[in-house]
Amino acid sequence: MENTFNPTLPDSTDELLIQNFKDGRKDAFDLLYYRHLPKVYKRVRYVIPENDVEDVTQEIFIAALNSLSSFRGDSKFSTWLRTLTNYKVAEFYRKRSRKQEPPLSPLSDAAAYTTDSAAKTMEERVYLQRALQNLPENYKEIILLRFAEDLQFNEIAELTSQNLEATKSLFRRAIAALRTHLEK
Amino acid sequence: MDQTNTPLHSQQDDQLADFADQVLKGKMKYPASPPTDTLPGLEETILRLSSSFPPNPLDDAAVKQMHVRLKARIRREEQSAKPSFWKKWFGRDVSPQLGLAFAVLAILVVVVISAPSLTTSGSSTAGTASAPVNIFIAGGLLLMVAIAFWVSRRK
Repeated sequence: MENTFNPTLPDSTDELLIQNFKDGRKDAFDLLYYRHLPKVYKRVRYVIPENDVEDVTQEIFIAALNSLSSFRGDSKFSTWLRTLTNYKVAEFYRKRSRKQEPPLSPLSDAAAYTTDSAAKTMEERVYLQRALQNLPENYKEIILLRFAEDLQFNEIAELTSQNLEATKSLFRRAIAALRTHLEK
Repeated sequence: MDQTNTPLHSQQDDQLADFADQVLKGKMKYPASPPTDTLPGLEETILRLSSSFPPNPLDDAAVKQMHVRLKARIRREEQSAKPSFWKKWFGRDVSPQLGLAFAVLAILVVVVISAPSLTTSGSSTAGTASAPVNIFIAGGLLLMVAIAFWVSRRK
């Protein structure tokens, strides 16, 4: 098959890059990495302690690299990568609970930050992460899609096969549930 | 949990969604609804989320550095990965399921060969006496293989 991959071509579709990767152009993965890293990193950052964000993000891309050859294209690559991200995040907490490490601790994580405002932001982030982790999956997902992935409500509605009204309603209930958890 | 969507809720859904849009565009820094309303609390939660997680945590340099570290990590993992038992013996990787099937087959072959009751020659009396022992050994070995498989899958 003729190789059409050109790393300078910014508008190559994910599908074309994946095909190039399967045809042996391993550098096609680099472009996929550059394209999807910011969103994956942001999503991970919302749910994983700061010190482990890069590690978990790298694990997601290593897993993607290892199983990309078997990607059949039944769904979009971004959807597949999101599922992989959620799996790796769940795995992180599974391993953590197996090691019986303490849950997210605002003070210990914040202590690493020298300035008062940085420590306060860090502490707030840990509270929010803990509250997000305790939300039902559909609530957590809609908050991550809007805030971490910056998807518009109509895009979320399309992605989740709901109408716009139901999507906005779910968002309001998710925020209300998050607030309840934060007040606990 | 509230699942119904009254006209009031529907209006609040729209207001809160619009508020989130404005916050994410950086155009809103404070709750917009009147304090008597139920929305300011929710708007405050949105503001907390937005301010605690800045929108662009990675600049180009950080992305490049992460890419370099990823490549180094992949190289390290490739170098440190030991070839599996199956690869060493058969020259290619075998799936755990196939490995398990192979182990079970090997055990069954050993049991069949060593069970006197299943051979054509010799006393059937001797066979009936030793067959249950073989079954226990085979069962024990099967159990060990199953446990080893389960442990290897958990890692």
